[in-house]
Amino acid sequence: MNTELLKRRKFLAAGATLSAAAAIQARAAAASSGPVVLAQDATRQPAPAAPMPPGRLTFHGIDTYHGQTIGTLKVDVSMLEGGSYRLVKSFDTATNGHSDGSIFEGSTFKPGRYELVMHVGDYFAALGVKLPSPTFLSRVPLRFGIADARERYHIAVLFGPWSYAYYRGS
Amino acid sequence: MSGITTHVLNSVTGKPGAGVRIDFSVLEGDTWRLVKSVRTNSDGRTDEMILKPEDTKVGQYELLFYVDEYFARQGMALPNPPFIEKVPVRFSVFDIKQHYHVPMLATAWSCATYRGS
Repeated sequence: MNTELLKRRKFLAAGATLSAAAAIQARAAAASSGPVVLAQDATRQPAPAAPMPPGRLTFHGIDTYHGQTIGTLKVDVSMLEGGSYRLVKSFDTATNGHSDGSIFEGSTFKPGRYELVMHVGDYFAALGVKLPSPTFLSRVPLRFGIADARERYHIAVLFGPWSYAYYRGS
Repeated sequence: MSGITTHVLNSVTGKPGAGVRIDFSVLEGDTWRLVKSVRTNSDGRTDEMILKPEDTKVGQYELLFYVDEYFARQGMALPNPPFIEKVPVRFSVFDIKQHYHVPMLATAWSCATYRGS
């Protein structure tokens, strides 16, 4: 995706939630000063030939043992193909356990069956948490289906050395 | 008590998950070998232990919960494929003298597991 399009999408997403507040602020500014550039003006750019769908896959792993994700969690991303899960990519979580942007978005995000394998054992070992060997949880598979890749799917996971939960977040 | 047990709960209704198929496997080398396939009873538990104390060894185990089939039978409309479908839970037995109770709390859009007692 080109930079301009990305900026535009981010702006539109922000604008959708802030438009009401922005309108109020713009009216207040118009009453007190000169010409006001409305937020909407900035969107007057050439429209892309084929608008990118809003669909995307994002991830957030929350370490409930420490109360915050203070380490780096490795996640392997696989898709089910012909009866087995095939590794597509791996990523390390960025700040606070988030994926660094989308795992997939737009045309790279396909419907199907996914598996994210979280390296929970390595995560807690790196942080010096004392656990039995082998650890109760080591590589934790999170499987889920994507029925409509035009939608946003946020995989939220709460994990500790002895438990985990995941759900479709937003 | 030692060995492995489980319990399925339907977190939509707050009731036991009855009639849920569970495939129990053990990791041998790099391969998961199916040990047995069971169904939960009306209390969401299995009539027999998943793995009896005398059969339990240190190692990696998997419980595969057929959550999508269960909710489909409840008459719930699910997407295709369902978001939560067949859920694998992989865990280790590190001390055969201890008991490993591994429950599954599920909805069509979330699931949770933990080492219980």
